[in-house]
Amino acid sequence: MSRLTASGLVSGYEDMMILHGVSVIVEDGEIVTIIGPNGAGKSTLMKTLFGLLPAIEGSIRFGDLDTTALPPDRLVRLGFAYVPQVANVFPSLTVRENLELGGFVLRENLSRRFDRVFDLFPALRTRKRTRVGNMSGGERQMVAMGRALMLDPRLLMLDEPTAALAPNLAAEIFEQIMAINERGISVLIVEQNAKESLRLSDRGYVLAGGCNRFDGAGMELLENEDIGKLYLGG
Amino acid sequence: MDVLSRIPQLLTYGLISGCILSLGGIGVSLTYSILGFSNFAHGDFMALGAYIALALLPAIAWLGIPAASLGPLSFGWDWILAVLLAAMLSSACVVLLDRLLFRQLRSAHRITLMISTVGVALALRNLIQFIWGPQPQTYASAIQKAIRIERLGIRIKPDQIFIILVALTLATALHLFLRYTKIGKAMRATSDNPSLARVCGIKTERVILWTWIIGASLATVAGALAGIENKFITPELGWQMLLSIFAAVILGGIGNPYGAIVGGLVVGISEEVSTAFISTGYKPAVAFVILILMLLIRPTGLLGRKS
Repeated sequence: MSRLTASGLVSGYEDMMILHGVSVIVEDGEIVTIIGPNGAGKSTLMKTLFGLLPAIEGSIRFGDLDTTALPPDRLVRLGFAYVPQVANVFPSLTVRENLELGGFVLRENLSRRFDRVFDLFPALRTRKRTRVGNMSGGERQMVAMGRALMLDPRLLMLDEPTAALAPNLAAEIFEQIMAINERGISVLIVEQNAKESLRLSDRGYVLAGGCNRFDGAGMELLENEDIGKLYLGG
Repeated sequence: MDVLSRIPQLLTYGLISGCILSLGGIGVSLTYSILGFSNFAHGDFMALGAYIALALLPAIAWLGIPAASLGPLSFGWDWILAVLLAAMLSSACVVLLDRLLFRQLRSAHRITLMISTVGVALALRNLIQFIWGPQPQTYASAIQKAIRIERLGIRIKPDQIFIILVALTLATALHLFLRYTKIGKAMRATSDNPSLARVCGIKTERVILWTWIIGASLATVAGALAGIENKFITPELGWQMLLSIFAAVILGGIGNPYGAIVGGLVVGISEEVSTAFISTGYKPAVAFVILILMLLIRPTGLLGRKS
């Protein structure tokens, strides 16, 4: 069964549509990367999938549920987690509070979920009481992903998770993404710096001008000469 | 009496008026941090609460709750009950106002919202004047003897000690609420990063509801306490304090409720202590000077975050 099926999405802002009929599928357990130049509509697609922007046309299915018009707080309960590209932490709150807000919709004791996140990101365990605003970019990204994982989601959407990070930190984040995926969580990544991301992805999509351009297996897109020249910097 | 020997007494007066300013300022700061606009009607929320409490006093007497003074205080259980009920009623009024007006303007520019709050301020003050009249009214007329504390060189009335204790209790309660309750954490999260708060499944409208309830309740208490301290209430009660409240909120860092408390105390104390050196008539100017200096030197406030 497909975890996420979006078809023919048209969406954007009041007077300007950005997506003109985009379709994306994520199968259960897959890592899928969406690449494309600036302004291709990658972030708009993420926001539309997550109910932060309304889909004017098209449909979104999460598992076997139609979630096209559902607001974020409903999607979160269904196991749909999203890490925005920027401003993806609460800077004046502590690490622990950030994670706790990730589990905001749950009514249970969160201690087991805290443990699971700290197992994935051991660096955070000793810094529970640190205000996230005082942490480095890499640590913040871990907090942001940890926050999303508190819900034990079935699909994790990451918007440019390594955008502002040094190469060694980016590699670490990619390792963690693979570790998350090994726990059975499907992952949908948007990346501008896409080579590394495509390498670990089962499949990839190329978006341009708000439309699908190419799709295929991750390695296939990596080796495609046209895509390489146009979207992967040669 | 020389100037310096008056300072301890002025500090005491400043502490008392600072407590009232702080309680008013918390609401302004919370509204700013959650809804993103400066609420110029907040002073009139204080007056509204104070007048609702006044209106409830006869009803409470009718229920058979005695109006006898509570120990050395100038008021009794009836007044305390009236203020608690008034806090609920004025919260209900403010939430209704939000539904009717501010909710329609949720996505409007903050200037539009700010001007609409000026409209609400005028309408509310005139409504209060229309219902209760412009003349000053009193809660109770008991005369109080001040307690003399020789060692500190101050005189303080039991009512004034009560005001300080209430402010201290409410500030602590607010701290515990923001720090440990689920909705309190949701409020801090929304103030920090509203869109991420939505991503976490926090319902913004619920947070807004609680913001108004806390702001209006604390405003009611502040207005009623001002009525006790000044011995009377008028429809302009809150409006007159609004400049000092804004100075306090900006001094502490607008959007930060702890900053509002610190700012309220600093402004209250500065205003009172200034009277040792300059004419009492310039007291409101002190708030202005603090406001201007703060905006020039550190616009984010004492506890404001750098952004």
